[in-house]
Amino acid sequence: MDKRITLPITKIITEATDIKTFGFEYDLKAKPGQFIMLTDFGKGEKPFSLADCTKTEFFITIKQIGDFTTRLFQKDVGDLISIRGPYGSSFFISQGNVLLIGGGFATPPLYFLSKELLKIGTKITVINGAKTNQQLIFSDRFEQLELNYMSTTQFGAHGNGTAVDRTKKLLKKEQFDYLYASGPEMMLNALSTILKDDEYEFLLERYMKCAVGICGSCTLDPIGIRLCMEGPVLPKRIVEQLTEFGKYHRDASGMRIKF
Amino acid sequence: MLKSLETEFLGKTISNPLVLPAGIMGMAFSGFNISVENGVGIVMSKSLTLVPRKGHEGPVITEVQNGLLNSMGLCNPGINDGLYEIDQFKERSQIPVIVSVFATKTNDFLKLTLKANRSQADFLELNLSCPNVFDEFGIPLAASKDKVYEIVKTVKQNSKLPVIAKLSPNVHDIVSVAKAAESAGVDALCMINTVGPGMAIDTKMVKPILFNTFGGLSGPAIKPLALKLIYETYSAVNVPIIGMGGVTYGIDAVEMLMSGAVLIGVGTAIYYRGIDVFAKINKELNNFLQESDYQQLKDIPKLEKLDG
Repeated sequence: MDKRITLPITKIITEATDIKTFGFEYDLKAKPGQFIMLTDFGKGEKPFSLADCTKTEFFITIKQIGDFTTRLFQKDVGDLISIRGPYGSSFFISQGNVLLIGGGFATPPLYFLSKELLKIGTKITVINGAKTNQQLIFSDRFEQLELNYMSTTQFGAHGNGTAVDRTKKLLKKEQFDYLYASGPEMMLNALSTILKDDEYEFLLERYMKCAVGICGSCTLDPIGIRLCMEGPVLPKRIVEQLTEFGKYHRDASGMRIKF
Repeated sequence: MLKSLETEFLGKTISNPLVLPAGIMGMAFSGFNISVENGVGIVMSKSLTLVPRKGHEGPVITEVQNGLLNSMGLCNPGINDGLYEIDQFKERSQIPVIVSVFATKTNDFLKLTLKANRSQADFLELNLSCPNVFDEFGIPLAASKDKVYEIVKTVKQNSKLPVIAKLSPNVHDIVSVAKAAESAGVDALCMINTVGPGMAIDTKMVKPILFNTFGGLSGPAIKPLALKLIYETYSAVNVPIIGMGGVTYGIDAVEMLMSGAVLIGVGTAIYYRGIDVFAKINKELNNFLQESDYQQLKDIPKLEKLDG
């Protein structure tokens, strides 16, 4: 069950100055929305969502944020990395007409989802939002798929609003059978207020320690579902029960931190 | 037919003998909620310290044959925030709560005790035996019967709550430590903490898997050792024992009850059988009572005590 494997990095793709995608040749058998725990021995271990997973390869997209990711960014193709997983829940693969809403470097799991949805002929619209054009990632990949792709940036010369703004506009014109979103929690929180009548799933993030459902670091108040086991993909009926959603999360010590 | 799994512990009636041990699911009040929903009879907080601790970097856990190695490093939000989580849980629940605390000095245990007095917790556990902070704090307090006596004595003089001492299996003579705690007035014992510690190695990287190199062993591998130590201790003391160590199925809990324990901790089994493991074990206990023609949990006999 603790599926730890140690394997070399086979691809490194620079997405933006501070965002890279790492590829590994391995049949991970993961589903869209699931995550792995990545170990840099002697430095630490962190969860990362899968940006793509085929029968031969899997990918994770990482933003350089702290010491851990800075060290990862110094690694080269051929360097060994140890991982365990895949862990957690995955997105419901819906038929019909669906909308995927991504924010910043949290968008890549929706690319993996798009590929799986297309396999059953689902009609897909993607809204990919970022702060700036430079931070907008995966556009070229989405554009290669048979789907309706829209990108939007909040700031800069071509700034035309947030992913939430764009979603509001689109929902006035078009109805969707199912919606999916992955992004910063305040984006998801804003979306939840405009999706009162729609069915959706959100990909949430919390500090995780054991990732196998024992330590209690990622239980969500008040119902106590464990984001590493029952999440990270949560359906609307669960999200609506979370009193901490959009308000606070917990750090490594378990202390509450306001968003 | 449903048999009664009710049991008594230090004057309180508990709906079933299963305890959520310290360090399992007990970071937030929501972790207590989901454990209770899944059938646990009594919950315990993470071991709380005077100031918050982030614990070790990862990996903090890895699977080994028939068990888990873990080295969380006593991550906890600190006594103030930890007690707040307990109080939040207590707002909506009648389930008894054990607040577990960790310190390395008698005076710090005293400070923690005074804070716990002002909470809604029902019992106070003194974690004298974390095996995973050796670098920081040295040999666990539970290795010294004099230290255990001194701490328990001081805490007992100041605690409004019944006091439980958590003992380490990683000592030369656990029975003499248990007796020291008893003579200092402890109300109950909790045993065993994780064993070892041990280690696991990533053979491709040539590195220890756990960030902390070493980690305490839990799970089915340690059950025979737990049974033996609980039985020896039960034979030598008169205070109730919360038994734990590798209990995964109902029959393991029966063995532990027979060895002398009155309550049974279940932690690592969540990994093997899911968060509803408490309900599953309770059902198996019920089946055992039926098959054995016992009317209730309290009818399960204990082994004859070892001759002193």
